Amino acid sequence: MRGLLPVFRREFGARIDAPSALVVTLVFALVGQGLFFFLGHPIGDLRLPGFWAGQAATLQVIFAWIPLLFVGFVPALTMGAWAEERSAGTEELLLSWPLSGLAASLAKFLAVWLFLGVALLITILPLAFVVSGLGDLDWGVVWCGLFGAFLLGGACSAVSLLLSALFREQLAAFLASALLLGLLWASGLLVGSLPASLAEIVFYASPYAHFFDSAARGVFDARDLVYHGSLIVAGIVGTTLLVEGRRWR
Amino acid sequence: MIHAHGLFKRYGELVALDHVSFDVERGSVVGFLGPNGAGKSTTMKILTGTLVPDGGSCEVAGHAVSPSDPGSRRRVGYLPESTPLYTAMRVDRYLDFVAGVLGASRTERKREVGRVIDACRIGKHAGRPIGALSKGYRQRVGLAQALLGDPDVLILDEPTSGLDPREVVRMRALVRELGEEKTILLSTHILSEIEATASRVIIIAGGKLVADGDPHAMAQSRAARLVVVMRLGVEDLDLERAHIEDELMGAHGVQEVLHFEVKPGGIRRCVLRVERAPGSESLQGEPVAELVTRRVTGRGWHLSELSWDGVDFEAAFLALTDFEGERS
Repeated sequence: MRGLLPVFRREFGARIDAPSALVVTLVFALVGQGLFFFLGHPIGDLRLPGFWAGQAATLQVIFAWIPLLFVGFVPALTMGAWAEERSAGTEELLLSWPLSGLAASLAKFLAVWLFLGVALLITILPLAFVVSGLGDLDWGVVWCGLFGAFLLGGACSAVSLLLSALFREQLAAFLASALLLGLLWASGLLVGSLPASLAEIVFYASPYAHFFDSAARGVFDARDLVYHGSLIVAGIVGTTLLVEGRRWR
Repeated sequence: MIHAHGLFKRYGELVALDHVSFDVERGSVVGFLGPNGAGKSTTMKILTGTLVPDGGSCEVAGHAVSPSDPGSRRRVGYLPESTPLYTAMRVDRYLDFVAGVLGASRTERKREVGRVIDACRIGKHAGRPIGALSKGYRQRVGLAQALLGDPDVLILDEPTSGLDPREVVRMRALVRELGEEKTILLSTHILSEIEATASRVIIIAGGKLVADGDPHAMAQSRAARLVVVMRLGVEDLDLERAHIEDELMGAHGVQEVLHFEVKPGGIRRCVLRVERAPGSESLQGEPVAELVTRRVTGRGWHLSELSWDGVDFEAAFLALTDFEGERS
């Protein structure tokens, strides 16, 4: 796919070079680690103590926080991807090059996803090493959880990039994306108070059902792959249609 | 090299382009002129494939311009208005990125980037972030990216906008140089730029093509400058400038007094912008010269000189685009 690799390299490099992206990543890692060691997970049905209080050789606490941490982290990574192109006018040049909208959308998605994957490793691996040094950590669960978090991050990134393509202002893209991901996260908390038929639908739409109840516990479910894969494909296709659609504005 | 046929584009209620057609031959610099909102940028966006027209079609370098066919986009270098660039990137890395998007291999990229850096004379700034460059150098970087891939056609949307006079002269020289090899469609608001660089001008107003031809011939057919040198009578030596200007403006066809100079001995030298008679072929045959002569001698002033000082492209442009108000 012509142009995919240069755009991917540019987008990934732009995040590595941008102090703001590095600061956001650092905050993501430090907040995650602080929550893991000291606060635990006191939200919803699944209440877990912090690592020092619980003394359990498991990373369940950090995995429980990942969907909520993504609500702030992923929109911060994606907000400028398309919104800045529009506000700076570089999108017009992008459309004038022999580059398909699909290649551009896919390249931007892959760059964000890879960056997010690195951020996950930076956040979770140090925790795993500490826990492993103090107790009997099941590394299979850790890798499965990391893979699940990576898939969930891909789905969140694809949806956020779609929203970035809808806006000209980065702040608007950030807020819209954070709101949507926040609602998806919160839907998991609402399940208990909904009628049974609706609760089932909401549960299956929630990241909890496709991450915390499976991969985060060391269980790989092919349905999760379908869930996250569907969101990724829908996000990329939607973004492509939006960007290519600007030729008809 | 460029064929546009019946281009039509509407933004909501506003008709931005109303069946515009023109052809541009290989190896020519064509000025694309028009008032704000005339449809210039819309036309350029259509030619570069960033906008799809509601009607009509166009072809660039033998390829139909179409969203599904990147063929024409490979043969066109585009510098949009306001020169959008990734300002956080270094100049050389940005150009390397664009060359990569155009499909160049690693060795081709290196060669291409070196070539356009030399062509646009930005070598000493190649390692700097684009955001740290002056406006003039950013324009050059924008032009350098348009030259990557050695396109047959360059579409430059106001390349000298916002530049200081020194940079304008440099950019103009660069465009002239490039015009020796490439087909260039150049949009600008600076009329002297068209006179200096373009062999042909296309004027668009209200979304319609209103003129197409040689800029000098076009100007000559529309307006000219008339130089009048006269000696005032003794009784009029203290006459104010406004009175003299009013007297000259009284001659039918005089549009504006462009220059007024007071010289010793009651001599006044004025340069007038005058409207040309439609269809007149020579300046000597202009009736307005006779009318001015009559006004001057009628006041008892002695006419020392009455001569034509070339053509006035600005006046021609204003006359041709006069119906801008119809759209609003």
